[in-house]
Amino acid sequence: MGNTVSPDFQKAAAETLAVATSAIEGVDAEVIERSSGTSPRHVVLINASPGSWRALAENLYSEHAVDYCSMVTGIHWPEGDEERKWEVVYHLLRTGVRDPPIENGLVRPMIVNPSKLKGASMPLEIEIHVHIPDTTTPSVDSVQDIWVGADWNEKETWDLVGIDFDGHQEMRRVLQPHETPKGYHPLQKQHHLRYHGFEEMYDDAQGFMRKPADVGKIK
Amino acid sequence: MAEMWISMGPQHPMTHGLWTLKIKVDGETVVDTEPDLGYIHRGVEKICEARDFTQITTYCDRLCYASANTWSHAYIYAAEDLLGVEVPERAEYIRLVAVELQRIASHLMWLGAYGPDIGNLSVMVWCLREREMMMDLLQELGGSRMHYNFPRIGGVKRDLPHGFAQRARAKLKLFLNRIQEYEALFDESTVFLVRSQGVGYAKPEEMINHGVSGPNLRAGGVNYDIRWAHPYSVYSELDWAPPVERSSIKGADCYDRYRVRVEEMRVSASLVLQALDKMPGGADTYHNPGDPMIIAKAPTRAPEGTTGAHHFEDSRGESMFYIAGGGESRGKQPYRVSIRSPMFITIPYAAKCMIGYKVADIPAIMGSFDPCIGETDR
Repeated sequence: MGNTVSPDFQKAAAETLAVATSAIEGVDAEVIERSSGTSPRHVVLINASPGSWRALAENLYSEHAVDYCSMVTGIHWPEGDEERKWEVVYHLLRTGVRDPPIENGLVRPMIVNPSKLKGASMPLEIEIHVHIPDTTTPSVDSVQDIWVGADWNEKETWDLVGIDFDGHQEMRRVLQPHETPKGYHPLQKQHHLRYHGFEEMYDDAQGFMRKPADVGKIK
Repeated sequence: MAEMWISMGPQHPMTHGLWTLKIKVDGETVVDTEPDLGYIHRGVEKICEARDFTQITTYCDRLCYASANTWSHAYIYAAEDLLGVEVPERAEYIRLVAVELQRIASHLMWLGAYGPDIGNLSVMVWCLREREMMMDLLQELGGSRMHYNFPRIGGVKRDLPHGFAQRARAKLKLFLNRIQEYEALFDESTVFLVRSQGVGYAKPEEMINHGVSGPNLRAGGVNYDIRWAHPYSVYSELDWAPPVERSSIKGADCYDRYRVRVEEMRVSASLVLQALDKMPGGADTYHNPGDPMIIAKAPTRAPEGTTGAHHFEDSRGESMFYIAGGGESRGKQPYRVSIRSPMFITIPYAAKCMIGYKVADIPAIMGSFDPCIGETDR
């Protein structure tokens, strides 16, 4: 009924952003389609080298009004290419949110008409992949000072995956106990769950010497 | 006066769950805060790596006990993007009904818990009474009371049962009348107004930079909503607008966050009623489980190198799933599932909001952000 943002206009804005960011050295951008049930969404997919990531982030924030860091994902690919043993995926959004104007000492709520959105005010999804080559101490530049929302996302990524963020203030465990051994990051792929491969249904942590229910069976 | 650190929690009525808020106080004034999370970290992301795509839905239901349907739907949309499934339109309307009913139930749970936080005990009983109506409707859809496991990759588990539309319309009509009772109970209560107005100010631009979204953001007077900005499902087909609250000059306070959630319940009820009217095939027809009208065939394996991502408007803000498929070696299981929890990002911001206020304001400010620790700790 025209009350929501139109995906067609988002496609044009996404293509503009992809062309603009491709000019940065070490950055490669394109527009992809992701599905959302019945209709496609247009997402700017950017591949950046670890060295160019910080420059790209500053450019997105200051030049293209990308104001919201949604999620930071760390992935461990021990069997991946030599250039991609570790990967950090950033999901950013351009929201166009501004403080509402004040009139006669009162706030006037900012109701944006979606049909009048254009240029840098168009809401947009941006997905950035940063590949890290084989190393035992993976790290990328922190963007905590650009988007404060990335702060706890980066803490969580280091805590669970073990990817460090250079320049991050106050890095610490957030989801695991504070006394977790140094170097233990459970989402790295050398740590297996007990039921990987369905060899036994439960462990014997309590020492009851129970036999696994399906010993010898292959599920 | 000497400053000192105090731990509020993990067992404290303010926390709405299990976490610790460390506060540094100077007399009665809060000068610094530090949240400490992770008490119920279950490792859902790791567990998902050893489960089939179809099995993960049940784990996502259990991320938040007050808003199960929104979480399982957020996962399903990301999984459909990964596997490349086109969903039947009728299934999308049924999902919208399920999600918006869940949103009402979640906001009622919040309202019922927020009243006792700041000294209005009777409202809890009233809100849980109406929440029961929403739970009954959701139980008809999903079969259980809290964790429904309702959506499927490609559609939904079951069609609307016989007479569901009629019962839903009657209950929502009653509910829309009763919202006025809550407004009377809150807006005419001096205790509530004194404790919620003028505390916990938050400005929209600052919230966006801190990653805060959803009703907490819209309370600041901006109409940003994932359903509006990146329309998924059939939200673009219906006549609605994100609810916005006229905040004060200093930003949104606790009272604005209460107002915007009450308005959002009205919008959700209107969305459900519209969806029941506009549903392809009509809301009164019934299709058997597995019928192509309500579920499409979906592949069970993700090819090498494919990814799926979806931003979703949860009851508490923007939730998101990112799934990396692993190719043949992983079989029917994903390689990595990453979950974005809105409250995990919002709780540190809410803790910053408290600085400068009195210790007695902490429950009012923290409660107004609607914390849910099940999704925060995952």
